[in-house]
Amino acid sequence: MSGRYLLRRLAQVVPAVAAIVITAFVVIHVAPGDPVLALAGQHGDAAYYALIRAKFGLDRPLPEQLLVYVANVVRGDLGVSYVHGRPVVAVVLERLPATLVLMTAALIVSSIVGITLGVTAARRADRPTDLIVRIAALVGYATPSFWLAQIAALTLALGTGWFPVQGITDARQAWTGWRYAADVIHHLALPTLVLAINELALTTRLVRTGVLEALATDYVRTARAKGLPERSVVRHAFRNALLPVVTVIGGRVGMLFTGAVLVETVFAWPGLGQLLLSSIQTRDVPILLALFLLVSLAVILTNVVTDLAYVWLDPRIRYE
Amino acid sequence: MHRGQRWIVLSALVASVTAVTPAWLHAQDTPTRGGTLVVAISADPGHLNPAITTSGATHTAAELLYNGLLGRDERGDAIPDLAESWTIEQAGAVYRFRLRNDVTWHDGTRFTSADVKYAFEEVLLKFHARTKASMGGALAGIDTPDERTVVFRFKQPYAPLLLQLDATEAPIVAKHIYQGSDPQTNPANAQPIGTGPFKFVSYRKGAEIRLARNPGYFKKGLPYLDELVMRVIPDPGTQVLALENGEVDFLWSVPGPDQTRLKSDSRFRTAQTSYHPGGSNCIMTVSFNLERPFLKDVRVRRAIAQALDREAFLRQVLFGEGRVATAPISSELSWAHARGLSMPSFDRAEAERLLDGVGWKKERDTTRVARGVAGVSDGARLAIEFLHFPAFTKYGELMRQQLGAVGIDVTPRPLEPAVFAPTVFKDRNFDTNVISYCNGPDPEIGVRRMYHSSQIGPAPFTNAAAYRNERVDTLFDLGGRTVERDKRTPIYRQIQEIVVQDLPYYWLVETPTTRAWSARCGGFKEWTGLFAEAAFCKR
Amino acid sequence: MSSALRTPGGVLGFTLTLLFIALALAAHIVAPTDPFASVGSPLTPPSRAHTFGTDDLGRDVFSGIVHGTRTSLTVAFAVIAIASGLGIAVGAVAGYRGGSVDDVLMRGTEVVQIVPRFFLAVIVIALFGPGLDRVVFVLGLTSWPAIARVVRAETLSLARREFVDAVHALGARTPRILVRHILPNAIPTALVVISLNAASVILLEAGLGFIGLGDPRSISLGYLANNAQRFLRVAWWMTLFPGAAIALAVLGLNLVGDALSELANPRRSGRTA
Repeated sequence: MSGRYLLRRLAQVVPAVAAIVITAFVVIHVAPGDPVLALAGQHGDAAYYALIRAKFGLDRPLPEQLLVYVANVVRGDLGVSYVHGRPVVAVVLERLPATLVLMTAALIVSSIVGITLGVTAARRADRPTDLIVRIAALVGYATPSFWLAQIAALTLALGTGWFPVQGITDARQAWTGWRYAADVIHHLALPTLVLAINELALTTRLVRTGVLEALATDYVRTARAKGLPERSVVRHAFRNALLPVVTVIGGRVGMLFTGAVLVETVFAWPGLGQLLLSSIQTRDVPILLALFLLVSLAVILTNVVTDLAYVWLDPRIRYE
Repeated sequence: MHRGQRWIVLSALVASVTAVTPAWLHAQDTPTRGGTLVVAISADPGHLNPAITTSGATHTAAELLYNGLLGRDERGDAIPDLAESWTIEQAGAVYRFRLRNDVTWHDGTRFTSADVKYAFEEVLLKFHARTKASMGGALAGIDTPDERTVVFRFKQPYAPLLLQLDATEAPIVAKHIYQGSDPQTNPANAQPIGTGPFKFVSYRKGAEIRLARNPGYFKKGLPYLDELVMRVIPDPGTQVLALENGEVDFLWSVPGPDQTRLKSDSRFRTAQTSYHPGGSNCIMTVSFNLERPFLKDVRVRRAIAQALDREAFLRQVLFGEGRVATAPISSELSWAHARGLSMPSFDRAEAERLLDGVGWKKERDTTRVARGVAGVSDGARLAIEFLHFPAFTKYGELMRQQLGAVGIDVTPRPLEPAVFAPTVFKDRNFDTNVISYCNGPDPEIGVRRMYHSSQIGPAPFTNAAAYRNERVDTLFDLGGRTVERDKRTPIYRQIQEIVVQDLPYYWLVETPTTRAWSARCGGFKEWTGLFAEAAFCKR
Repeated sequence: MSSALRTPGGVLGFTLTLLFIALALAAHIVAPTDPFASVGSPLTPPSRAHTFGTDDLGRDVFSGIVHGTRTSLTVAFAVIAIASGLGIAVGAVAGYRGGSVDDVLMRGTEVVQIVPRFFLAVIVIALFGPGLDRVVFVLGLTSWPAIARVVRAETLSLARREFVDAVHALGARTPRILVRHILPNAIPTALVVISLNAASVILLEAGLGFIGLGDPRSISLGYLANNAQRFLRVAWWMTLFPGAAIALAVLGLNLVGDALSELANPRRSGRTA
């Protein structure tokens, strides 16, 4: 993979990020009411409003305001949350790890299960198993995550007592070392399960299509005609099927963030999802904007990483 | 004295001791020492300084770290806390408190009267909304003649003082920690030093707050618990699940649909109370914007009142937990609550008659139209907007149904608190709304602001109706200056009789909450913010 | 279209989708009860009088679901209309003109595709207040990229064909060529994306309603689910039926999308994709 391609790909990030920042800026200024109130809340005093006006340059002409906003964002200054009384970046970074842990776990689980199901469905294509797998995956996608979360909490936590319903760790005991990790995983189980079920359909469908298409290629037919063992044929098809799964991780990240909002609230998981909900209730616009920027950035970056991974995985593809 | 008589004396002695011991102590078994109590709270407090805010979230989480000069007992009367005794002088214009001399802050520094003076002058009177609004204008000065004495001097006799000195209304913060800094940004707000039964251990934002036993607490033997953990669990359903699953031991409020189940489950105990750290003795109150022409006629307001079936509100919104309001002042303030008032009764026929009489006629449409109504053009529909917090959506729906039945078209408009307050109090852009007006420990604190003409303004949750009545103003001023309770009762009765006739508001239901806890724990004082001061949990 | 119906998935999908559309169109006939009106005693389980039971204010849950479905499908339809309009316009122009026009338009498409729709909708509602029109506006303006891509791909492959050159030589003008010859071929593939999009719009709208950002003036499935949360343990019917309705609607649309996708890109014919 050439360095030139890498640089070109990274350069494409800039307009995407710029567009997101501009969207955020436009939304604030198009909304009814004084932008100061949106950014500083309704209960501030005159001194605080003056401060915010100066920081965001709200008295200057619009193009200048945009530049000020972009400069602030680049510097990492996303303003102050008047609800929390602290810089937005600090509040968001505090809650980020919990959500990252949850999303990574969900991504791993749904990838493993999705790939397994997708391969199974492909190998028994058009037979009952295939339909059952596809419908099950779709039902998982279609069922609202909040509903799933509550049912999971009722049955798998309260019903059986196997899992806890809230928090990252046990409230009564502070563990350390590997026992701490085990405690976290114990608490991670249900939220991850719900998020993964929701997200599964996409992966399953992609893998299934990918495997089926690969199995239908001339290469495979020739290989079969030559009498190569079925297993190595499938393995080849499998490798090709993974490519679309990788490409789509960016979109999955977006979906997972959305799902996390509801799942985190039901399971009292102290991450960004919970922060989003409480910020909606308090109309904490600086935090809402920051979350919007963060999720967009996450999707953009994941897309870049997966594009690069895609190129690396499949040497036939070149974007010269 | 021979044996029989000795027995009688002994039993009398035992009986009288038992009678004197607080009920909560012998309602359950004897306390055990040690253990951890896990409490569910609904929102992240943000910081742990209850002196600079009246936010329920902060007070729920932080009051156990502090004390007030006085506390409150089960009946709502003042009892000693940091102050061991007090005298009232000059008919209530001077209050002299004698402080305990065995109190230390969590960092070992001695507590003195200088802390009290500082806490009031530099913190409470500047930042605590209720204390500032009530005491701020009335206070002449605070003197500290010696380390154990604090004297409050008022410009005129000030009645409510003793009931607004607990950790909810006036928690005492440390001078040596806050002096010279801005109380709103001092880092101690995240790592508090107080005098309370529990000391601060850690605070993971959005997740949990951990407290530990204060071994130097001035009430000897308390607290019993070693540790207290507060978990932030925003979803009320999850809170109940967590309690039932054993992950949590104490809930501040049980959602309506789950109350019956928990009450009949022997693994849990419940208690109902009207106290809440964010505001006590609350009544869901409908306000009429008296500046709107069509609401100026009292007959219209009376018609609206008589069209409302408040029992239905109690049943459907509160699941029976609560009471229909029988007076403008909460029944929890028993000495001020007027009994036997002639409140509007639920009478749809009468409501329709009143509306017809004013000129609102039922024609082809289900909604009435104006025909000869003063201040309203003919043909205008009787359509009103009803503003409310999203949490009170049920009230909106019931209003729509019940008023719709008499020909009034109600459009409920849910507004987040951040938007509701300026819309109602600054812009005054509403017809009617519903607000949970909390009376507080004394009518001077939570009731006056609803009716006094000086309280019409942009400050949130003041006189939403824009009600003006000179007689009521005078009566409130008098009530605030009269210290003896039996003399205050008739004053507030007169006020209530007047406002029930004028109907600037309509009082729907009183809203107590139900606390719940695991049966292996006990000793809770649900009527105060220091609820776990004497709590214990058996293994 | 008929061959897509031969697969069991296709049958199920079309049945569900058509059923929901019929329900939405005939809402007032199927459920004449006002979903906002209190018609029975609160919290009664499903019975003969109330097929899906009543909620905590005594309102008929079945009526709520039928009218809620109508709202959800109306929102989905409106969003699809806007997104299709934009997507077809952008895709057709990009595919037909090619070159730098194509580049610029595709860059724009990529950027819009990245925008997290849910979060943007949340911010817009937080700033502008709740309302179905805001939801439709935001989702419509951000859902067109997938449609644009599909239309562009079809346009690209068709625009180079000889028959287009022939028609062009005969004097037909560009827009006519696009509309009469190219777009109709793009429709089948576009329908795949459209049906999947409709499904995700329904889920997004339900999600917004669930967190309390829905339109308070209309009954929606998200609102019903939001209301039902508190009663999960005492009135299972309040949450089961709205949840099932959402799930079935989304399932149906997705199965239709799958079936149409098979139609557009059959795989067992030996043709590589």
